[in-house]
Amino acid sequence: MSPEASSAGRLVPGAVHEAPQAIRARTAGWRIAAGRLAPVVLPLLLLGLVAGGWEAMAVALHSPLVPHLPEIGKELGRVFKGGRFFGEMAVTLLRVGAGFAIAFVAAVAAGIAMGRQKAVAHFLEPAIIVGLTVPGLVWALLCVIWFGIGLTGAAVAVALSIAPALLLNILQGVRAVDAELLEVAAMLRLPLRKRLTCLWLPSLMPTLLGGARLGLSLAWKVVVLVELFGLSSGIGYQLNSEFGAQNVAGVIAWTLGFAAVMAVIEYGVLAQLEHHLMRWRRTAQV
Amino acid sequence: MSSHIVIEGLGKAFAPRGGRRPAVIFDGLDMRIEAGQLVALVGPSGCGKSTLLNLIAGLDAPDAGAIRFDGRARDSRLAMVFQQPRLVDWLTAEENIALAFEREGTRPPGDARETVRALLRKVGLTEHSGAYPQFLSGGQRQRVAIARAFAVDPDILLLDEPFSALDELTARRLRLLLQSLWGEADGPRPTGVLVTHNMLEAALLADRIFVLNGHPGHFAAVMDIDIPHPRDPEDPALFAIHREVLHALGEA
Repeated sequence: MSPEASSAGRLVPGAVHEAPQAIRARTAGWRIAAGRLAPVVLPLLLLGLVAGGWEAMAVALHSPLVPHLPEIGKELGRVFKGGRFFGEMAVTLLRVGAGFAIAFVAAVAAGIAMGRQKAVAHFLEPAIIVGLTVPGLVWALLCVIWFGIGLTGAAVAVALSIAPALLLNILQGVRAVDAELLEVAAMLRLPLRKRLTCLWLPSLMPTLLGGARLGLSLAWKVVVLVELFGLSSGIGYQLNSEFGAQNVAGVIAWTLGFAAVMAVIEYGVLAQLEHHLMRWRRTAQV
Repeated sequence: MSSHIVIEGLGKAFAPRGGRRPAVIFDGLDMRIEAGQLVALVGPSGCGKSTLLNLIAGLDAPDAGAIRFDGRARDSRLAMVFQQPRLVDWLTAEENIALAFEREGTRPPGDARETVRALLRKVGLTEHSGAYPQFLSGGQRQRVAIARAFAVDPDILLLDEPFSALDELTARRLRLLLQSLWGEADGPRPTGVLVTHNMLEAALLADRIFVLNGHPGHFAAVMDIDIPHPRDPEDPALFAIHREVLHALGEA
């Protein structure tokens, strides 16, 4: 038994003591219940507070620019009626997915090459710095001009916008890969394929998951811009047409639906993936 | 008996950052290690023990001289145990050992899984075959590392202070485990090089002790230990060797 564990069970003189097991059982039960509920209750609490604050603002301002919650609810109903929302969302998702896939593969390859070869790092560094400073808006405009309206333009705009940030993120992960493990790989003379699948990719996994979150969040912002400028479908196009009709509740309704899909991807896909891929990690119990 | 590892005129220096004079670790070091012997390299910190081992392992390149294995530049089956276990955290104990078979020509005949199981049994970890390293104790992790080294049936086994990060009782058990694995080796025993600062450990395990000292490093003494294996860690003869090594280092 560790010294901390033994001192925790010691009785304090002068205090009134309950049977320690009873206290432990009660607090443990409460903790387990709280621990299970917290991930559901706390995010809902935040959403409730924001909705309540919004409604209070709508009541106080009494302006058509700040619609009441029931109005937004009605718009949500209209947006989701007949699966219209999901059709538009699927179109936008395809564009984001294609651009994200291109950027992700390119950034992983370039990141490992830059981490291993100084010459490659020097060569590509300006591209990262310039790439990070170019606004997504510029890529959106240029790609609509270059590629016209279609999947290619949207995917390229998304890829160009997120690749620099993704690459910077992966590069930091590559530099943090354990040098001692690379020595073990050299000692075992592992073939390149095994080094990639057994050492590099798992070492980079936390970085890649973080990069996926960052990249996706940037990708949404850019794809909406492309759709707003040049395309006649997708969430961005719908937002623009609601804007044209001065329908604030409509803009909010489309945005809320969009955010809901993002939440499903985060909690339903990325978090589950992370939980599975990181199962080897021991977490601190304190 | 032929010399398995021959080191001739070895030179190695490290250039410190900031343009100061390079630190000369070796300048014309010679060494011969006989096939099937376990030799120990002992000496004070910073005398180049681990550097010499890394040079033999091919993890570092010499500035001058040559290291030959049976006359060849590189040996085919070389395994190493480090001070830290250096396991792959996202692979289970079993998978970590099986990683050794990924190199071409090292896959055991028959069932690789069975070979891994047999190794886990030998190092006493049968019940932990599916555990991830972060859920094992320090001693258990080092047992996995030892099993990984023996998995490829090595010609050469390099041990870089393999027990010095463990508590004394665990270290003692693992020394005896290593001694028994060495004795049990099917076919010819591997040639071993053990770097240690523990002179009793050297006396327990080694057939020959090289005492390394000074800058640049040179051998202050080379001692043959003729006590038959397996040795008893409490054998008074080991303490006598301990004293002799200290004497060679000018400490007693």
